[in-house]
Amino acid sequence: MSDEEHHFESKADAGASKTYPQQAGTIRKNGYIVIKGRPCKVVEVSTSKTGKHGHAKCHFVGIDIFTAKKLEDIVPSSHNCDVPHVNRTDYQLIDISEDGFVSLLTENGSTKDDLRLPTDDSLLTQIKDGFAEGKDLVVSVMSAMGEEQINALKDIGPKN
Amino acid sequence: MGLPREFHEQCRRLLERDFLKTFYQWTSEAASSVTNRIIESDSFVPEVKVCTAALDLMLQILNWDFRSNTSDTKVNVNVFSSGVRQDVDSLKRYECHLVQPGSDWRDVLILSGHIGWLLSLYAALRPKFSCEGYWLDCPIAVSARKLIVQFSSLTGTVFLSDDGKMHERHLLQLLSGILEWVDPPDVVSKAIENGKSESEMLDGCRTFLAIANVTTPYVFDGLLKSIRPIGTLTFLSILMSEVIKVLITSNTEEETWSWEARDILLDTWTALLMPINTITVNTLLPPEGIKAAANLFGFIVECELRMASASAFNDEGDSDYLRASVSAMDERLSSYALIARASIDVTIPLLTSVFSERVTRLNQGRGIIDLTETLEELYSLLLIIGHVIADEGEGEMPLVPNAIQTQFVVNSVEADKHPVILLSSSIIKFAEQCLNPEMRASVFSPRLMESIVWFLARWSSTYLMSSDGIVEKILDSGHHYEYSSKKALLSFFGEHNQGRIVLDIIVRISLITLTSYPGEKDLQGLTCYMLLHSLVQQKHICVHLVALNSWHDLATAFSIEKTLFLLDTAHQRSLAQTLVRSASGVRNSEESSQYVRNLMGHIATYIVEMSSKSDFKNIAQQPDILLSVSCMLERLRGAASASEPRTQKAIYELGFSVMNPILVLLEVYKHESAVVYLLLKFVVDWVDGQITYLEAQETTAVVDFCMRLLQLYSSHNIGKISLSLSSSLLSEAQTDKYKDLRALLQLLSSLCSKDMIDFSSDSIETQGTNISQVVYFGLHIVTPLISMDLLKYPKLCHDYFSLLSHLLEVYPETFAQLNSEAFTHILGTLDFGLHHQDVDVVSKCLRSLQALASYHYKETGNGNIGLGAHAMGLKDSSGEVQEGLLSRFLRSLLQLLFFEDYSSDLISVAADALLPLILCEQSLYQRLGNELIERQTNPNLKSRLANALHSLTSANQLSSSLDRINYQRFRKNLNSFLVEVRGFLKTV
Repeated sequence: MSDEEHHFESKADAGASKTYPQQAGTIRKNGYIVIKGRPCKVVEVSTSKTGKHGHAKCHFVGIDIFTAKKLEDIVPSSHNCDVPHVNRTDYQLIDISEDGFVSLLTENGSTKDDLRLPTDDSLLTQIKDGFAEGKDLVVSVMSAMGEEQINALKDIGPKN
Repeated sequence: MGLPREFHEQCRRLLERDFLKTFYQWTSEAASSVTNRIIESDSFVPEVKVCTAALDLMLQILNWDFRSNTSDTKVNVNVFSSGVRQDVDSLKRYECHLVQPGSDWRDVLILSGHIGWLLSLYAALRPKFSCEGYWLDCPIAVSARKLIVQFSSLTGTVFLSDDGKMHERHLLQLLSGILEWVDPPDVVSKAIENGKSESEMLDGCRTFLAIANVTTPYVFDGLLKSIRPIGTLTFLSILMSEVIKVLITSNTEEETWSWEARDILLDTWTALLMPINTITVNTLLPPEGIKAAANLFGFIVECELRMASASAFNDEGDSDYLRASVSAMDERLSSYALIARASIDVTIPLLTSVFSERVTRLNQGRGIIDLTETLEELYSLLLIIGHVIADEGEGEMPLVPNAIQTQFVVNSVEADKHPVILLSSSIIKFAEQCLNPEMRASVFSPRLMESIVWFLARWSSTYLMSSDGIVEKILDSGHHYEYSSKKALLSFFGEHNQGRIVLDIIVRISLITLTSYPGEKDLQGLTCYMLLHSLVQQKHICVHLVALNSWHDLATAFSIEKTLFLLDTAHQRSLAQTLVRSASGVRNSEESSQYVRNLMGHIATYIVEMSSKSDFKNIAQQPDILLSVSCMLERLRGAASASEPRTQKAIYELGFSVMNPILVLLEVYKHESAVVYLLLKFVVDWVDGQITYLEAQETTAVVDFCMRLLQLYSSHNIGKISLSLSSSLLSEAQTDKYKDLRALLQLLSSLCSKDMIDFSSDSIETQGTNISQVVYFGLHIVTPLISMDLLKYPKLCHDYFSLLSHLLEVYPETFAQLNSEAFTHILGTLDFGLHHQDVDVVSKCLRSLQALASYHYKETGNGNIGLGAHAMGLKDSSGEVQEGLLSRFLRSLLQLLFFEDYSSDLISVAADALLPLILCEQSLYQRLGNELIERQTNPNLKSRLANALHSLTSANQLSSSLDRINYQRFRKNLNSFLVEVRGFLKTV
């Protein structure tokens, strides 16, 4: 298991930084942004001016993609913001262990066992119920800035 | 309640004719009987309450929407039009209620001295306001004033048709009564500032508005002349100047009385000056009035500028408020423009000099002092000038405003001395200076640029290279005098004169706003959507555009330079659309295709290369890649939506070259809903623009592509559940899904249209593509994704059902071939739609049912199987017998018609659906009918129901064929059936 963890770390850093600079004016609703060190999905952008004849600035409202906390930020629109590199990977769900971890099948055939189940009850039940019913589940894992979380699941059982 | 509308109409007519006047008389007698007591007593007496109530009732009665005489007034229009305006339609805007009781009311309202009584009552009340029990806003005073205002709106046949003399006398009486409320303006306004209530002032203004609405400016102006040395217009101008003065000195955030008074007075001016756009000023206004308007406008400009400079430094928080009041401001500016146009030969030179003075101040103060105030002044000034010299097109080509066309007489040799040309040229010259980087940094703030771009857009759609053909025509027609001003103007900025130079300047300014104002979305939005977009609307301007170097620079910057990738993606789409559209100005189709290829080629290449990179899957999620892919897709979409016959080939090739990459992208970005949506929208726009032109072979390729796209999309999304802690993110995900599906439905609809409109040379059948099957296949893929929850989005629901009803009407035969799962799903949605609240959706469902049932009926009649197994009852897995679809819907439709609430508009559509259903399922219908009759316990009603049911299917020689006449007959039958039985069916 420690082997696996190590493997993951190196993969996350491979050739890509965690965030990228991007002009504030180009960040749109539904895009991503780093606010106060947290990766967020932008749910609202509005622009205003610094003084009537000053330059535009953007007001972002973001929701932390992992904790669902609401965060806000104001940035001059010609300045750069950090944009997190948000990655999503699909894994097939192999097992749910007693202690709240899941076991996932990676593309190259090995397993990934370091991911916790969501703590939130309703999400948890959705995954557990689906698994208990014996469906073939694919979970998609969202990772950004060194954190990861299950963010969607898909039932591929009966169809294919 | 429950009675037909006609009955209510009759009641109202009866009430109006027989009782209203009597009521009114009684009330007014009651009121006058207590008047003396009120006037004589110094303190509050109980009679005041009686009188207040009476006044209120009179007001209510006069608010009645009088109908009886509307036809009379129309006949009398000519008689009255000399003095009294009848053009009610133009008044609707000001929400001013015209009181038009008929001539019956003349004795009560006019001849009885009723007005005099009311005015003297109020006059008697005024001195009492200091007494106990009375004050300016006490109920009786408020009611009396309201009634006075109401009387001012009196018009129509209640006055004798004596050239409006009687009406004038009436108005004069009122005017002299209310004059002391507002006169002298400065004293009154000072009193209000010192704490007096403003209601008299406001009601005075309202009276002016009411009078302005029922008179022509000449009569309006003349009213006051008989009692004062000045005309009413002059007085109005003085009054309004006073109000504005108070408004700017108080300068607070909340709406004060001066604010309201200003708006009422502006409406008054608008009411007076509205016809200026069709009639020449001289015939509309007396010279004195023109002068009054000129003075007022001068004062308005001064005050607006003062307000601008005062507000130059307050920002923050303000911005939301500003955005909310933009439309209010626009309305205000249009009223200002009307006032300015009333005295256009004074106001244009005034504006020119004020403008150049501010520009000089800028140039002198540059780099030395803070220019913010001047910048803000220029901002307001540009907005005002824009409104004065040009109208908004609202989608059409605006003409040169009438006042400007007619008021200046200029000799064509000295065209450059034309005041409007002078003004326009000085503004353009000023705007041009933003091309200089140094000037730009020190003077041209984003906000100033916004006003410049706005002005240029508005100005150019009226003046720049404007419809040269018309100028020629005018020349021919010999109306030299009348149109010489317009001709001079238009030819000065025409194609063969300064037009090209100005166009070049405009394009270069646009390029600067796009590249040198990073992150200024509003400014760039204005440039893309207003300025550039309107330029390419006209082909003859495109011809010049594509020949300009500056346009070429813009196109090059667009296709290769990095800076334009920083624009908002929606702006990039618009820019792509604009640039592609300008290809219509290129000489022949060969070259215009080449032009499009040059423009968009890089973008297609980028996408192709990107998607074929071996490590694309790994880098795709990087924000920088994500951004550039989104930009490219937006641009492609912009280009695709600009498809025209001429560039169609080039755009087809463009789309064709990225077909496979699109599928790769869809796979890679399946979790990135924003990109997926862009992809789908591009395909939708592209297919929509192309489908009608495509040849058979191309159609096959496109259709195959669409099917692969649909399959891929559906494989990603079926059974997918998004998990998130945040409810707002979850609802976002739901919304994204909705938008995607809506795009897919649009895609299917545009594929459908290929069968209807087809410009290609050969029929698509030759390649074996059957559109209906394709679309059904698509629907098959899409329907499982459409959940009942998603159908709650009104737009999606609408799109879905219109596609469905179209499909069922046109190709019922393929529907029968759908597998049972998809079939059940579609029926489920139909059932859902049938009980929807939206009438439109229900009628679409009914139409689908009609299509299905009539198809089945006709086919079975010809010995075919029709809907086959679907129509039969089935035994499902649990062994229960399921009804065939037709019986099921017959049942639910009858249930709906007999027992539920629905709009009466639906009855005829429902009849159309019911008839074939009944014909298909005769026995069930009989059974249901009998059940219905059996359930009825009251023997009387029972027989009525039986008779009604019988005549529903037999009256009017209804036969068992499905032709138009029969449908019509059945509609009638159903209608009378429902009238007969629905009342008791619903209640029992």
